[in-house]
Amino acid sequence: MKIVTRREFLKSSGALGVAAAAGGVVDAFGQAPLMVGVVHQFPIGDVGWETQHALATKAMEAAFPGKLKVTVVTDVQQAQDAERVFRDLAAQGHKLIIGTTFSQMAPMLKVARQLPNTTFECCAAINTLKNMGAYEARNYEATYLGGVLAGRMTKSNVLGWVGAFPIPQVVWRLDGFVLGARSVNPKVTCKVIWINTWSDPAKEKDAVSALISQGADVLAGSPNTPVQGVAAEERGVWSFGNCSDFSKYVKQKQLSGDLLDWSSAYIEAARDVMAGTWKSQSRWRGLGPSGYTKMAPYNSAIPADVLADVQKREKDIVAGKLHPFAGPIKDRDGKQRVAAGAVLPDAELRSINWAVEGVEGAFPKA
Amino acid sequence: MIDSIVPILIVTLGAGTPLIFAALGELVTEKSGVLNLGVEGMMLVGAIVAFITASNTGSLWLGVGAGFAAGTAIALIFAVLTLTLQANQVAAGLALAIFGAGFSAFVGKGYLGMALQSQPRGDPSLLSSVPLIGSVLAELHPLVYLSWLLFAAVSWFLYKSRPGLVLRAAGESPTSAHSIGYPVIRIRYLATLFGGAMAGVAGAYLSLVNAPLWMEGMTAGRGWIALALVVFASWRPARVMLGAYLFGGVTITQFFAQGSGIGFASQAMSTLPYLATIVVLVLISRNLTLIRLNAPVSLGKPFHPDR
Amino acid sequence: MKWLSPLVAAGLTVATGVILFSALGKNPLLAFYSFFVAPINSLNGLSELAIKASPLVLIALGLAVGFRANVWNIGAEGQLTMGAIVAGGIAIHYGGGALLLPAMILAGALGGMAWAAIPAVLRTRFNANEILVSLMLTYVAQLVLSYLVHDPWRDPQGFNFPQSPLFPDAALYPILLEGTRLNAGALIPLLAVAAAWVFMRKSFLGYEMRVAGEAEDAARYAGFSATRAIWVGMLAGGAAAGLAGVGEIAGPLGQLLPTVSPGYGFAAIIVAFVGRLHPIGILCAGLLLALLYLGGDAAQIAINLPAAVSGLFQGVLLFYLLGADVLVNYRVRVVREDRYPRGGAAA
Repeated sequence: MKIVTRREFLKSSGALGVAAAAGGVVDAFGQAPLMVGVVHQFPIGDVGWETQHALATKAMEAAFPGKLKVTVVTDVQQAQDAERVFRDLAAQGHKLIIGTTFSQMAPMLKVARQLPNTTFECCAAINTLKNMGAYEARNYEATYLGGVLAGRMTKSNVLGWVGAFPIPQVVWRLDGFVLGARSVNPKVTCKVIWINTWSDPAKEKDAVSALISQGADVLAGSPNTPVQGVAAEERGVWSFGNCSDFSKYVKQKQLSGDLLDWSSAYIEAARDVMAGTWKSQSRWRGLGPSGYTKMAPYNSAIPADVLADVQKREKDIVAGKLHPFAGPIKDRDGKQRVAAGAVLPDAELRSINWAVEGVEGAFPKA
Repeated sequence: MIDSIVPILIVTLGAGTPLIFAALGELVTEKSGVLNLGVEGMMLVGAIVAFITASNTGSLWLGVGAGFAAGTAIALIFAVLTLTLQANQVAAGLALAIFGAGFSAFVGKGYLGMALQSQPRGDPSLLSSVPLIGSVLAELHPLVYLSWLLFAAVSWFLYKSRPGLVLRAAGESPTSAHSIGYPVIRIRYLATLFGGAMAGVAGAYLSLVNAPLWMEGMTAGRGWIALALVVFASWRPARVMLGAYLFGGVTITQFFAQGSGIGFASQAMSTLPYLATIVVLVLISRNLTLIRLNAPVSLGKPFHPDR
Repeated sequence: MKWLSPLVAAGLTVATGVILFSALGKNPLLAFYSFFVAPINSLNGLSELAIKASPLVLIALGLAVGFRANVWNIGAEGQLTMGAIVAGGIAIHYGGGALLLPAMILAGALGGMAWAAIPAVLRTRFNANEILVSLMLTYVAQLVLSYLVHDPWRDPQGFNFPQSPLFPDAALYPILLEGTRLNAGALIPLLAVAAAWVFMRKSFLGYEMRVAGEAEDAARYAGFSATRAIWVGMLAGGAAAGLAGVGEIAGPLGQLLPTVSPGYGFAAIIVAFVGRLHPIGILCAGLLLALLYLGGDAAQIAINLPAAVSGLFQGVLLFYLLGADVLVNYRVRVVREDRYPRGGAAA
């Protein structure tokens, strides 16, 4: 056992202090590594929202070997604590601080206003500052394609959606899903259940059972875990994954999934901060290279013509020729939300809280 | 809606099963005079240990066994604190609940979000040939059957066997039992460990069967509901079964209602199980005679053999 | 002597922590420093400690009033949420004015008390166990808050995300120390410590409650009303929790969010016990637990310690306390239960 003498201890803590101040060991080019802090709301699991951010962190480290010193803090669940953690990170020399979820936006705004020399990025944030940017995924593009798959693969014409909370992030995915399904199969309806929690696997499973017994034969939703897919598979029902690729757990019945890939956001942020060219932006990207959304590998049981159609649509979306929220779109109360020939503007899409035609289930009032 | 009855039944039975294991275990514990509030913590520890075992060995039953053992072990800490060291049972139970949550989160951090292989169903042909309810029977997990066996065993033990009588005596009148020569403290130890074992199995069911993965705090209050069930059941096993399935049914119904488009806010629907628990508690508890007749007299009071 | 067991328990917890750190492969002294010393090594750190300890101490003081009388209010988390809801509702609907903050404080306390009154009445009228009722109501309160921030009280400028509008400045506690987050709300627990001490030591009601807890039969003979003990116990906890709720939303948060507390209502139970249900003890225990929270995050940043350690420490601390309690206060004598032949001596 290594015995730490007092002198050594003082030396090491002194060194810690100096290192924190100087930003670390100087690399071969004489440039101190950029200290980056990444803050997660929940612990990082095997799959799920936090995992995708962790993967992006790794990609960022791999893109700039030796040039970054990354600190990851997890399980910072409340906004009050996030505020303190952001300040602590900044005080210890982290020049780029990345938030991973919408609920970190409010505390980050407070801290960013007081620390103009630190750069902040927040996932899913809707406000930005001169030193705080935002990045969000147009994953409705992927769920639209998922809907196309679902619309073709369903036999009962009933789809199911198990959602956590009816927040815009989830609602735009739901609406994209249903729009995609109805674009190939106008008779399709989608039943929705909100379980009001991000992580109660038993409730997710029960909700899946409820949907299946009400006739749904393709499921999607906002799971952070593979439970929905696994439960669906046990009953022989298709599922469309989310966040991460669940196919290592849902071995046969996952059609595909809308994967989140934040690596471009992280890499570009780190690159721009190191080069001194970082500017605050609100980036909202979907499919395509440098995008934040990808389709999970397609199930081999999907018929070739369906697959070909989906892949063509994906190309069209990336090229800008196909927009999932292109009119005419009516909401489920019959009101027209998007006129024919128009496209739902980004600002409305960002704050969407209404359900398109075909959605059945409890929905908060718009 | 009629053809939803079978699936609703299946899901209700599944949702009620962990409650049955935990509540029956706690019932035995309480019948011996010990109030163990730490059921939630014991379930969580059982859940994570079972999950770790099952994911490393690939065996469901080894996992359940591990959950059983883990629940027992953690109940032992509580038993030592309250039975030997005579600490306040309420405080110790709360400590157990809090510790179980922290311990399971800590130990489980490497297993977050991992799902187990979906368990292949056993051969259903024999069961599904049973008329009428065959299709339901075939869908049920073996642990559901085990829970029924447990109910039968506990009922028989408590009301038809000598040792069960002795256990009830330890709960009703420990001083008399002690003076006749029965080892009250040891009986209570065994009852507490049994309660822990059952809570562990309940947790194992949640993490291995109900939703084959691990999530921090995944019991989501079910341990506390199991405690309420024991009161609801006036400490009688048959009523525990009824209460557990009722509760499971309420939880499920809100999902079916949502899916059918019934218009209340989903949060309102989600409160139903908790409000139902309160209502049920009130209805049962208000009948003081019923409580006095059925609650073990010395419940929660420490017993000193030499006083 | 009474203070020996919390100190022993705290010491054992720290020792366990150091062992745990070594087992995880971290330098134990460095880990100890990062966890227990570094977070409070600066003015900012001390103010963060105060902010974190405030709700813990406040709620624990309220809970202790009840615990002393064997009234177990486990639903403080829900009462905190309710207090926050009521105060937040006022902040959102009434734009400003000097009376806004005092109104919020009063409303928050009343909101918490109202939520605690439910288990109180169900216990006194229907004999329903207050532990279970107050706990169930915690879940209900959470769902009510969730509904409110998703729907009626949603920020119209918030892109439909679940949060209330930001509170006007008049609804926020003034900052006490420039450059930190320390706000005037931190004074309330200090006042409460003094008030609780006076109540417990000097008031007759406090005396009644102590007797009711320590010797139930004696209390009954003396005519101390069990019903009153239950009401006072639950309402004290509810008021304190409600005030803590206001402290969070009028302090570090500044708005209503789907969750407003990281489990303060439950952690306060630990604080109450470790503080031996005594106001000064609770103050110290609250600071200790706050340090455990802060240390968890700081150690993650400094030495990559896993996040779940804080929660583990809290549970371990409580267990050690219960064990140390007994060992310190009682002489342990191993007694074998005498065994007579079954069937009695009348054979």
